[in-house]
Amino acid sequence: MTIIHNRPLDDIAETAPTLGGNAFTRAFSGGSLWRLIGMLVLILLLGFLTIYPLAMLLYGSLHSTPPGMAGEFNLNGYRSIMTTQNLIVLANTVGISLAKTIPSLTIAVFLAWIVARTDTPFRGALEVLITLPFFIPPILTAMAWGMLANPQVGVINMVWRWATGATDPLVNIYSYGGVIWHMCQYSIPFLFLFMVDAFRAMDPSLEESSRMCGASRWTTFRKITLLLMLPVLTSSFMLSFIKGIETFESALFFGLPAGIKVITTDIYESINHRATPDYQYATSLSFAIMGLMFLLVIWQWWMLRGKSFQTVTGKGFRPSVMELGPWRWVTFAICLMFFFITVVLPIGQLMLGSFFRFFGFYTYDMLTLEHYKAVFANSEFWRAVRNTMMLGLLGATATMALGAIVAYISVRTRWRGRSLIDGMAWLPWMMPGMVLGVGFLWAFAMLPGPIPIYGTVWALLLAYIALGTPVSVRVMTGAYHQLSYDLEECSRVHGASWFQTMWRIMVALAWPAFAVGWVLTFFGIMRELSASILLYSVGSETLAVVLMKLWANGNAEQVSVIGLMMMLLVIVFRWVQLSFIKARISKL
Amino acid sequence: MAGPFGKTALPEVKKEIAAVGRRNFERRVPGSKSRARRSIVSSREERHVTTNTSMTSVIQKTSAIQTWSRRFFMAAVGSLAISAAAGMPAFAQDAEWQKVIDAGKKEGSLVLYTALVGQPSTKQIAEAFTKQYGISVEVLEARASEIRERVRVEQAAGRFAADVMFTSEGQTMLYDKEDKSVDPLPVTPNSQKIGDKFKLKVPMASVMTIPYGIMINTGLVKPADEPKSWKDIADPKWQGKILSDDPRAIGAGYLWFFSTYDKIGEDYVKKVASQKLVFTRDQRESQRRTARGEYSIYMPVIMTDFSDLKGLPVKFIIPEEGVPYVLYGNVMLKKAPHPNAAKLYLDFMQGPVVQKIYAGLGYGPVLGGMTEGLPADVKAISEAKLYGTTDTTRQNEMLAKSKDIFK
Repeated sequence: MTIIHNRPLDDIAETAPTLGGNAFTRAFSGGSLWRLIGMLVLILLLGFLTIYPLAMLLYGSLHSTPPGMAGEFNLNGYRSIMTTQNLIVLANTVGISLAKTIPSLTIAVFLAWIVARTDTPFRGALEVLITLPFFIPPILTAMAWGMLANPQVGVINMVWRWATGATDPLVNIYSYGGVIWHMCQYSIPFLFLFMVDAFRAMDPSLEESSRMCGASRWTTFRKITLLLMLPVLTSSFMLSFIKGIETFESALFFGLPAGIKVITTDIYESINHRATPDYQYATSLSFAIMGLMFLLVIWQWWMLRGKSFQTVTGKGFRPSVMELGPWRWVTFAICLMFFFITVVLPIGQLMLGSFFRFFGFYTYDMLTLEHYKAVFANSEFWRAVRNTMMLGLLGATATMALGAIVAYISVRTRWRGRSLIDGMAWLPWMMPGMVLGVGFLWAFAMLPGPIPIYGTVWALLLAYIALGTPVSVRVMTGAYHQLSYDLEECSRVHGASWFQTMWRIMVALAWPAFAVGWVLTFFGIMRELSASILLYSVGSETLAVVLMKLWANGNAEQVSVIGLMMMLLVIVFRWVQLSFIKARISKL
Repeated sequence: MAGPFGKTALPEVKKEIAAVGRRNFERRVPGSKSRARRSIVSSREERHVTTNTSMTSVIQKTSAIQTWSRRFFMAAVGSLAISAAAGMPAFAQDAEWQKVIDAGKKEGSLVLYTALVGQPSTKQIAEAFTKQYGISVEVLEARASEIRERVRVEQAAGRFAADVMFTSEGQTMLYDKEDKSVDPLPVTPNSQKIGDKFKLKVPMASVMTIPYGIMINTGLVKPADEPKSWKDIADPKWQGKILSDDPRAIGAGYLWFFSTYDKIGEDYVKKVASQKLVFTRDQRESQRRTARGEYSIYMPVIMTDFSDLKGLPVKFIIPEEGVPYVLYGNVMLKKAPHPNAAKLYLDFMQGPVVQKIYAGLGYGPVLGGMTEGLPADVKAISEAKLYGTTDTTRQNEMLAKSKDIFK
């Protein structure tokens, strides 16, 4: 009904007029030679950012020693990962990741629908507030949940015991459930952010027709809304599932005491906790996982191939909301409860703790502002803020620009090599961060001497762009899938140049997605530690490095102060972004 | 180096340290032994030839020896002449050290990599060093495995960025044996004054020891029940009440496992393993968790953290047997861009200024008499008897053993 088969895309490519303009315009519009060169440049750039570090890692996995040391090529790495033990760990990891991805996706879809498509009260504020935990360093929320839900003296369990007189704890965060819960804390807001604009940009006429034909609200939601969201949903599922395989803080913090092992803790151990770091083992294991993950990407391609999901068409379209009547208070209550459990509980704990000398000891004489003073007086912190802001602004913008171009080419053109760049853009997501960080170190340090990347901020910037590209491409792919070709053609028919069309239609209409992607990338950069710590140089510390140092020295309270400040920044960013989107949408 | 393997190795240790620039000195200038021991090597090639036996190219070696012996002969004759003329035996060394100081000041800066992350003392020491020599210190911090890989890759790629690396004895062995990224130690004025057991076989200039002990929650453990020794940990009454650093991975828990396994025995370790230990890998957060009452005991705890936790219901206990420890020190990295500043820094870290800073924080100094006048609690920790440390050469074997015992 709604999944219409595309009209041959070749039409579009062929009807695209070869207008003049400068060389760059031609590169993307007309002459196949220029297009070829344009593509080549793009492939080289992505190759340098993704294939090159991975190639270094591949070398590491096939060579008995890491790059730069004498050794021999062998398959010992791959042989050593083929153990029953690892198979069990892999099954365990996949299980945990599925167990967190499916509920996270369900909840995120539901929340996105409430916020974007219903008239639930205060949904503007809710949209900002329910995503907050995502922007806090995982170690802080882990600590907060450790304090809330440990079986011995966790706040939740104390309240439970006091209220019911029970002796057994209600919850134990140091368990499978705890690991999954802590992962959900990050994947729900991430998925929500990722999807909410796709929901917003949907033409409601399809849903209205469905309702007119007598389908119930639920059927409409299931058969129309969800199906139209298929590209976004599958992308979300994969991003989240793959991340779940690679997440490691939750498993290390809550899983280790309970004896829960996942692939990444195994990799972490092989690098950090063996007599000598076993890079061959770590990289081999990562590539094995990567191979499995790529099957998923192929599955997604196969599923989405030849279908159209365009909902933003040339027809007059007003993103309208569904009127829920009294039910809107139910949806409001659900959001509020979610907000309370996932945001107020852990972040309230952090906020409270930041005003006391020690977390968890809330007595009057422990009240202090010393942590705030210490942070504000820390010159290294301010230097790191400046560095991170600069890297974040530049990095997020560059990443989104690259992501938009890649997504445009892979979704809206039939250019040769478009699947290649789409696939290349996936790669960094499939390598666990700590291994990829080593890949960047090897790649940038081993560049020929005159290329001054290693030891400069450029190394950090390039690594951040590479790390952010998968998300930026996914976000923009989702957005471009929704834009109808009519709009582009219409613009061209009316005499707009290729660039004008690009700007007025492809950029302006995809702007909300671009903005969300930008925020995700920006805060991704702010939190990135694995690559940063291997690439930063004296004077170019990033915030994550400073946080790690403070944490390592036991200044958990100061880390919270910084975490809270980061959160404040998110609120400002999101508020600006949402008001901007609102202003734009009302103009449409 | 202490521990069961340290004693037999001691004579060799001394030899290694004094070896720099001495072997041939003694041969050519008999009678100048005592001065030679303190002499400072100022030329890079000389150090390579005298101590780096792993150098493979014979041709390179012989030609280096030729230039070296020529230079050396001149220097030896010169110093002999000067000391004979002035009649002051220490003069030659002082003059030579003065040359290092001048050259170091000319270099003007120093790049320090440190694996001891987040310690405020690092900055304090750097400032004191700058104050004394006018040489600025740039510090790069990362965890041991990360910083090691950075140094290794940088050197492999011909990017010699760092001068000095502050790291542990075990890591130094890897730097030296596997990566070959460190230079032999220079002999500096202070390097001979440190305690004999801190003069190592590996090219690391020892600075301080980090002591590990037991921490208890005073709200949960009555004074009469307090564990006093490592053996008390095996008491069944602590079953399920001990939070422990993971002994199956390199770190504090493994250090405890290694030293008690060697000194008390396998039965003891197995008994502790049956206590249903809960494992963690986050030292500082685990201290807090114990303070908040999740567990009665946390072990092994970094004893020097006691001052950060003042005001919390916890007590740090020095076990009767002594404290397992990690020895930290500086290594000189190959082709250091500021070699003389690096020498000054190595020397400075073993001098009284830095030694007092570390002793004041509770670390074990390598120089005698540094704990005078400290508050009693700090002094006790700083002077705590050293129990044992790990041996890198037995790491694979012991890790496997630990994994076997602590399933």
